[in-house]
Amino acid sequence: MLPYLLRRLVLAAVTIVAITLVTFGILHLPPVDFVTAYAAQAAASGTSISAAEADAMRLAYGLNQPLWVQYWKWLSMVSVGDFGRSFEYGRPVTEVIGDRLWLTVLLSMGAIVITWGLALPIGIYSAVRQYSIGDYVFTFLGFIGLAIPNFLLALIVMYFGFRLFGINVGGLFSPDQQLAPWTWTKVLDLLNHLPVPVLILSLAGTAQLVRIMRANLLDELRRPYVVTARARGLSERRVIMKYPVRAALNPFASTIGYLLPFMVSGSVIISVVLSLPTVGPLLLRSLLSQDMLLASTIILLLGILTVFGTLLSDLLLMWIDPRIRLGQLR
Amino acid sequence: MITPSLSRRSMLSALAASPAAMAFLRSAIARADDLAASGLVGELQGPTMITDPAKWPTKFAEAPMLAELVKAGKLPPVEQRIPAEPMVWQPLNEVGKYGGTWRRAFTGPADGENGNRIQSSDKPLNWSADGSKIVPGMAKGYLLSDDGKTYTLSLRKGMRWSDGAPFTADDFIFWFEDIYGNPEIVPTPTPEMRPKGKPGRMVKVDETTVRWEFDVPYYLFEEIMAGDTAMGGGQAVRQAAKVSFGAYAPGHYLKQFLPKYSSLEAVNARAKQEGFENWVQMLHFKKDWELNTEVPVLGPWRSVRPINTPIWLLERNPYYYAVDTAGNQLPYFDRVQFTLAENLEIINLRAMAGEYDEQERHIDLAKLPVLLDNQAKGNYKVHLDLGFAGSDFMFHVNQSYTGDAEIRKWLTNADFRRALALGIDRDQLNETFWLGVGTPGSPAPGEIMPQSPGPVWRKKWSVLDIAQANALLDKIGLAKKDGDGYRVRTDNGQRLRLEVIAIAAFLPYPKLSEMVADQWRQIGIQADVREMERGLGFAKQTNNEHQLFVWNNGGTELLYLFPTWAVPVIPGAAFGPKYADWYSSGGTQGMKPDDPNIMKIFDLYTEAAGLKAEGRNHNAQEIWKILVDQQYGIGTVGQSPAGLGVRLVSNRLGNIAARVCNAQHCRTPGNSHPETWYFKS
Repeated sequence: MLPYLLRRLVLAAVTIVAITLVTFGILHLPPVDFVTAYAAQAAASGTSISAAEADAMRLAYGLNQPLWVQYWKWLSMVSVGDFGRSFEYGRPVTEVIGDRLWLTVLLSMGAIVITWGLALPIGIYSAVRQYSIGDYVFTFLGFIGLAIPNFLLALIVMYFGFRLFGINVGGLFSPDQQLAPWTWTKVLDLLNHLPVPVLILSLAGTAQLVRIMRANLLDELRRPYVVTARARGLSERRVIMKYPVRAALNPFASTIGYLLPFMVSGSVIISVVLSLPTVGPLLLRSLLSQDMLLASTIILLLGILTVFGTLLSDLLLMWIDPRIRLGQLR
Repeated sequence: MITPSLSRRSMLSALAASPAAMAFLRSAIARADDLAASGLVGELQGPTMITDPAKWPTKFAEAPMLAELVKAGKLPPVEQRIPAEPMVWQPLNEVGKYGGTWRRAFTGPADGENGNRIQSSDKPLNWSADGSKIVPGMAKGYLLSDDGKTYTLSLRKGMRWSDGAPFTADDFIFWFEDIYGNPEIVPTPTPEMRPKGKPGRMVKVDETTVRWEFDVPYYLFEEIMAGDTAMGGGQAVRQAAKVSFGAYAPGHYLKQFLPKYSSLEAVNARAKQEGFENWVQMLHFKKDWELNTEVPVLGPWRSVRPINTPIWLLERNPYYYAVDTAGNQLPYFDRVQFTLAENLEIINLRAMAGEYDEQERHIDLAKLPVLLDNQAKGNYKVHLDLGFAGSDFMFHVNQSYTGDAEIRKWLTNADFRRALALGIDRDQLNETFWLGVGTPGSPAPGEIMPQSPGPVWRKKWSVLDIAQANALLDKIGLAKKDGDGYRVRTDNGQRLRLEVIAIAAFLPYPKLSEMVADQWRQIGIQADVREMERGLGFAKQTNNEHQLFVWNNGGTELLYLFPTWAVPVIPGAAFGPKYADWYSSGGTQGMKPDDPNIMKIFDLYTEAAGLKAEGRNHNAQEIWKILVDQQYGIGTVGQSPAGLGVRLVSNRLGNIAARVCNAQHCRTPGNSHPETWYFKS
C-alpha cells in the first residue's frame, strides 16, 4: 500500500510541474497581452490608451521581457509561495482569491450536499421501483433538469424573482449588508440569498447523478448474487443496501476528483449570470484581461486540486470496492 | 410597452415604401418631433458657473459630517479649507441639501473610468454644459499668447489637496520634472508635449501660475488642456492604471516614494517591505487614487475603499474647491458607492429594480422598452442623452491592409468603398438596433458641432441606393458573378469575400454586422462576419490584420482631441495601422500612403496644431469632406444614446439635467457636475 501511495505522490508532483508549464504556455498563446486587453477595455468604455501610456504599462508589468524569463520568474516566485500581484486588482493574488474562496466553498458544498442528498435516494427509488409512477415522474423531471442549461434557468429564476417578488437579484448580500461587519443580520442576509444559487448549481448535477445511480443500480439488481440473496430470504432492504448500492456508488467516488476543483471555482457561467462573488467569474475575467499572475495561480490551484482529487477518489474507490483494492495491490 | 413616439416611428417606417427617398423626410421630421415629444430627450443643461467675484457668497457652510470633525478639532473650519477663489456653482434648479449615498454599479477593477469620470472636475479645464466652449475647471483660467508659443494656466489662490496640503504651481513642476521627466516611470513622452516633434517646457511663474513654452506655434494646446487627453485629463484618470500623465501630481505625498528624495536603496527596501517588486511598482500603486486610499486628490470625492474590492466607496473631499451660490461647500452627496456586478444583465436588472440612484454607464439601449416599463416601479426616470459623433456603428476600412493583394486592391478603391456604403439600409439598422432613436448618415459629426462640414456631408454616399452601388461595382471591374449572384475575384475567379471583425461592445456589433452582410448580398458582396473577443479583435486590428473593423467613431466630433477613429495619426488606428505608424513616427516606420487624399489629410491635420480655433475647425471640415467623399470609414447610424446615453435617474434626486453632454470630451457624466446633485427626499 505504502509504495503505491508514494509512487502516486511522486507522479502527482511531476504532473503539477507539467501543469504549470502547459498553463503558462496556453495562457500566452493568444497574441494579446494585459496591456492590449486593457486598452481594448478602455476603448470599449469610451476612453483611449495612448501609445506612450501603453509603453509605460508594458514596462511596469514586465511584459516586454521574453516569455521564458517571465515563466522562470513566475516559477521561482511560486516555488517560495509568492504568487505576486494581480495586474488588474493591484493586490496580492492570494488576497484576491482568498476574498472569494470561502464563499465559493460554502456555495459549492451546499450544492454538493443537496445534489447527493437528492440524487442518492431518488436514484435508488427509481431503480428499485422501475417503471412505477414515481420513477416516471423523476425520470421526466430529471430529463428536464438535464436539458435546461443552468444559466438559462438562472436567468429565468432571477427575472421572475424580480418581477413577481421584487427580490434583490444576483449577488450573495443585500446592498446595505455588503459593507456591514459580520453580525447575525448579515449571516441571515447571506442565508436568504443562498438557496437560489445553491439550487440552480445543484440541479443539473442532481439530474445527472439520478440517472447514473438508477442505471448502475439496475445493472446490479439483475446480478445473480442479488437473486441468491433474495432466495436466501434476506429482507428486501438489506438485499438492496448491503451490496448493490455499494457497488453502484463507484461513480460517485470517482467524481470526487472533479468535486475538489469544482468547490473552488464553482460553476463559472452560473456565477457570472447570478453575479456571485466566487472564484469562477474571477477566473473568467483574469483570462479575458490576460491578468497572467492571477489566471496562472487559479489554474494552478485547480490543477493541484484535480490531481489530488483524483488520488483521493482512487483511494476511496479502493476502500469501497474490494475488487479494485485487490486488483491494484496485486 | 414602447412609448407612443417610438411606435409612431415604427408606423412611419412601415409607410416608407422607398427607403432612400423617405430617409431624408424621416430623419428630418420624425427625429426632431418624435424625440422631443417622447420626453426622453431634453435640452442640454447644467449648473451655471458664477465667475463674477462680486456675486460670490461671503459666508460658507459645510456638510454635517465635516462640521462634526471641525468640532472635534480634526479639521480646520470650512473658510480655511476652500480656496480664496473658489469655483461657484449656481445649481441647475435649487440649492441642494447635504447627505446620502449615491448608489451606482461597477464591473470590477478595470472599470475605473466609472469613477474617474465622476472625479473629472480635477481637470484643469472643463467644457460648458452643451460641450461647445472651454470653461474653467480646477484652474481659474488660461491665456494663450498671440504667437501660440506660450500657454499660461492660472490656479486658484488658496486651493488645497484633499489632505489639506496647498495645491500650487509646484505640483505641476513636480510632475514635469520628477514623474514625466523620469524614463523609468514614463518611458515614452506624450506627443501632446511635442508639437512638430520639439519638446515643450513647463515653468513656474509664481505660486498660482504655470507656463508652458513651445518652440513652434501650438494653438491646439488650449483644446488639449481641456480634453480627455494625457495632459488635460486630470489626475484621477491619468495617474491610474500605471500611467503617469495628467500635468500635475501631489508632490508633497509622492516624494517619499521617489529615489531622488531619499535613495534608491531606501525606496527599494520600502517597496520590498510593502510587497512590491521595486520602487516604480510601488509608485504606480501609490499615485493611483482607485487603489490607494491615501493619495491626495482634487475631485469632489476620494476613495475610502479601493476599487479592487466588491464595493468601491468614495467619500467627500473636505477640501473640495467648489461651493454653491449659498456658500455651501460641494459636493452634496456624502458618499458614492459602486457595487460590483459580474455581468451587465445584472446591472440592467438591478437598475430596473431601482437599486441605483443614477446610472448611465453599462445601461443597454436595447432594454429601453423594459426600462421605460419599470419607471414607476423602480421610482426612476429614463433620459436619453444623444451623442454628437457621426456613427455609433461603422466599418473602418483598412487602407494599409497587405494580407491579400486582390482584397487590398478593392479596399483602397474609392468606388468600391462607396458601393459598400450605398448598399447599407441604415433605416433598417436604426429601427432594429437603435429603436429608431439614432440618426442615419455618414461618419461626419452632428451639425451642431463646430467641426461639422455641413448637412450635405452627412448624406453623401450614405443613403441606400442599390442600383448605383451595383453600377459602381460593375464599372470598376467586378461585374462577373458566380452562380449564387456574388461577385468574384479578378485574380482567380473565386468568390470575393470580405472579412469583417466585430467585437460586442456598446451595441451588439456582430449582430449589426450580420444584418449589413445580409444587405450587401443585394449588391453581390459576400462579407464574413467574425465575432471576436475584445482583446483578440483589437490585437488583430492594431497588427494590421483586419480588412473591415467594426467600431464607432466616438470622440471624433472634436477631431484633434480624439482622432483615432477618423484619421490614421495615432499608432494602431483601424483606418490603416501602417499609415498611422508612418505618420506618428515622422516617416521612419510603417508605410507611406500612396493615396494622395490621405496625404492631404495628413497635411491638413499637421497644419491644424499651429492654427487658431477658426482655422483648426476649417481644416477639420476639409478633412471630414475628404473622409466622407472617400468613405475610408463607412458610417451607418449615429448621434444616438448607444454609449453612456441611456441614463436612469432616481426621482429622489434634484438638480438633474434634462439632457447632458454625452461625449468623450465631456467625461459623461462628469461634465454635468454630480457634485451639484442631491437627494430631495
